[in-house]
Amino acid sequence: MKDSLNNMKYIEKNKLVELIKELKKDYILIAPVKLKNFVLFRELKENEEPYLDFLNSRNSPKEFFFPQTENIVEFEGIIDKRVSKLEDIKNKKRIILGMRPCDIKSILILDKLFINEDYVDNYYKRLRDNTLIFGFGCNKPRTTCFCTSFESGPFFKEGSDGFITAIGDKFIIEGITEGGKKLIEKLENADKDMVKAKGEIEKNANDTVPSSVKVEKIPEKLREMFEHPIWEEISERCLGCGVCTYLCPTCHCFDIQDEVINERGRRVKNWDSCMFPIFTLHGSGHQPREFRYQRMRQRIMHKFNYYEENFGVIACCGCGRCITQCPVNIDVREIISSIKNVKLTISNEK
Amino acid sequence: MNNPYIPIPVKVDRIRFETDDRLIKTFDLVFIDKEDEKTFKYFPGQFAELSILGKGESPIGIASSPTEQGFLKFTVMKVGVVTTALHNFDEGAVMGIRGPLGNWYPIEEMKGKNVVIIGGGFAFTTLRSLLIYMLDKNNRKDYGNITCIYGARSPDLLCYRDELEEWEKRKDMSLYQCIDWKFGSKGPIEEAAATGWQPINLKEPKNTKIKPGIKKFTAFVPQLVSAVKPTAKDAYAIVCGPPIMIKFTIPVLTELGFPPERIFNSLENRMKCGIGKCGRCNIGPKYVCKDGPVFSLKELENLPKEY
Repeated sequence: MKDSLNNMKYIEKNKLVELIKELKKDYILIAPVKLKNFVLFRELKENEEPYLDFLNSRNSPKEFFFPQTENIVEFEGIIDKRVSKLEDIKNKKRIILGMRPCDIKSILILDKLFINEDYVDNYYKRLRDNTLIFGFGCNKPRTTCFCTSFESGPFFKEGSDGFITAIGDKFIIEGITEGGKKLIEKLENADKDMVKAKGEIEKNANDTVPSSVKVEKIPEKLREMFEHPIWEEISERCLGCGVCTYLCPTCHCFDIQDEVINERGRRVKNWDSCMFPIFTLHGSGHQPREFRYQRMRQRIMHKFNYYEENFGVIACCGCGRCITQCPVNIDVREIISSIKNVKLTISNEK
Repeated sequence: MNNPYIPIPVKVDRIRFETDDRLIKTFDLVFIDKEDEKTFKYFPGQFAELSILGKGESPIGIASSPTEQGFLKFTVMKVGVVTTALHNFDEGAVMGIRGPLGNWYPIEEMKGKNVVIIGGGFAFTTLRSLLIYMLDKNNRKDYGNITCIYGARSPDLLCYRDELEEWEKRKDMSLYQCIDWKFGSKGPIEEAAATGWQPINLKEPKNTKIKPGIKKFTAFVPQLVSAVKPTAKDAYAIVCGPPIMIKFTIPVLTELGFPPERIFNSLENRMKCGIGKCGRCNIGPKYVCKDGPVFSLKELENLPKEY
């Protein structure tokens, strides 16, 4: 897309706080915040400033569309008397500021599951509809980043309503959707030099991403590898802690539980993980995924084969969180490479 | 906007014990709002999430047929939190259901064909729905011969015993029942014979000559299928039962000449959402809740063996 000058605005970095103050009047503002040892996205509190000098947040901002715990219904007293329905839940418009392109890509991936012709998850859709996303280009990717492997990159703009690029002491903000353009219309136009500098950064940006994996043909190949011994090898050191699934921006498996305290109760959707045995345990005691290698296989297969087969896109955005946080250094890039290196014999093929 | 997570309110209209071990009960549910009944359009083989606020939800096959008006029937074994709460209900209790969910038996495709229904234990629920549907006076002409083979561990564990008696007498279908009582040197087998359950040649079941009029046997389901020898010509087989029964019944059907695309199974897996989102009931890329629970053997042959 050719950058149109009219949609290019800029703001001095030290003026951002004022802009945010202005926006907060009408919007809930979600932005990265520096905590003790890590950066986290959260709703900005009174006078809280965003921290934009970060590589990426520890947790994925998927929680603002698919919360870790979310009420389906609340109830009270007699069990059939529902006191809360979807419509009652607050509907204030939100802005997520500074989301990295990989995380935005992950939301585009999740859209295909939560909003499709079979069923629409109204909870997800509602949060999706009332949120504007301001993406933030990555001038300096992390060593574990591999977003360019998935038709994305450090300046991938699809899914953003506006896009921020940091240049020196300024942020260049590009309006992309109508909603995004409107939010920044009062800012000053960027001049030619700024736009040129921005173009320079973007031009070579993909080369700055330190690692990549070749995922072409991986989905097709995995189809023939369900019974392959590689899964036992890969899962040998896995502890089954599930941190990869909790931090993964595209992991979307959830549980539904009822919680009651005294007379008041709620039914909630909770994040769940395919790495836990209880995830698939039948009431009868039957367990389709008894061994850890089967659960590891499910995780990889779901992302790189099943999801692709169902929705035409691989469920990985290359953010590298599962790599940085795994307690036993399991690296999904290595897994993909070993899958790539497998020579299929006739017996592995169906 | 329609919200697939919100249950529809229903009232428990009638409860009765289905089996003598008192672990299985049948519940007739009626919609509290009659509008809901109109929009709840279902077919034999589909299921619903039985929803008890404060306890949770449990996916259960619909045992009534859409040709039966005014109620939904569910036959439920007491297993976990939700089903135990359900078993503790009195008639008149109010609860919720979500559905209908999943796909159904190929009732259109089977028109003009013979149908063999094979069931084991309390997995007979959606098969009952199918049978009632096909035997309905408006639908019976659409199908050829209907053969039903149904087995349980003992006579008191067969579901829908009143209806089994009726079906036994019908001229427009054949019902074969079996029980797999342990065959001791004396004991159960003699007792079984005295109450009308006839032995079959267990070593070579297909050599058993079934005498006309005898419809109750001491055998396992696969052996009875082998002895009854239903013709595969223009026929579909619908199989629902415990995994071990399915495992041994499929080869018998294959030997009888049923091709994989005319053998259908109904599967189950742990489920939560029932609408293909929560991610736990998949077999390969297919979700049992949304793409199933009914799968042809041909479909299953193309999926990983992880169920």
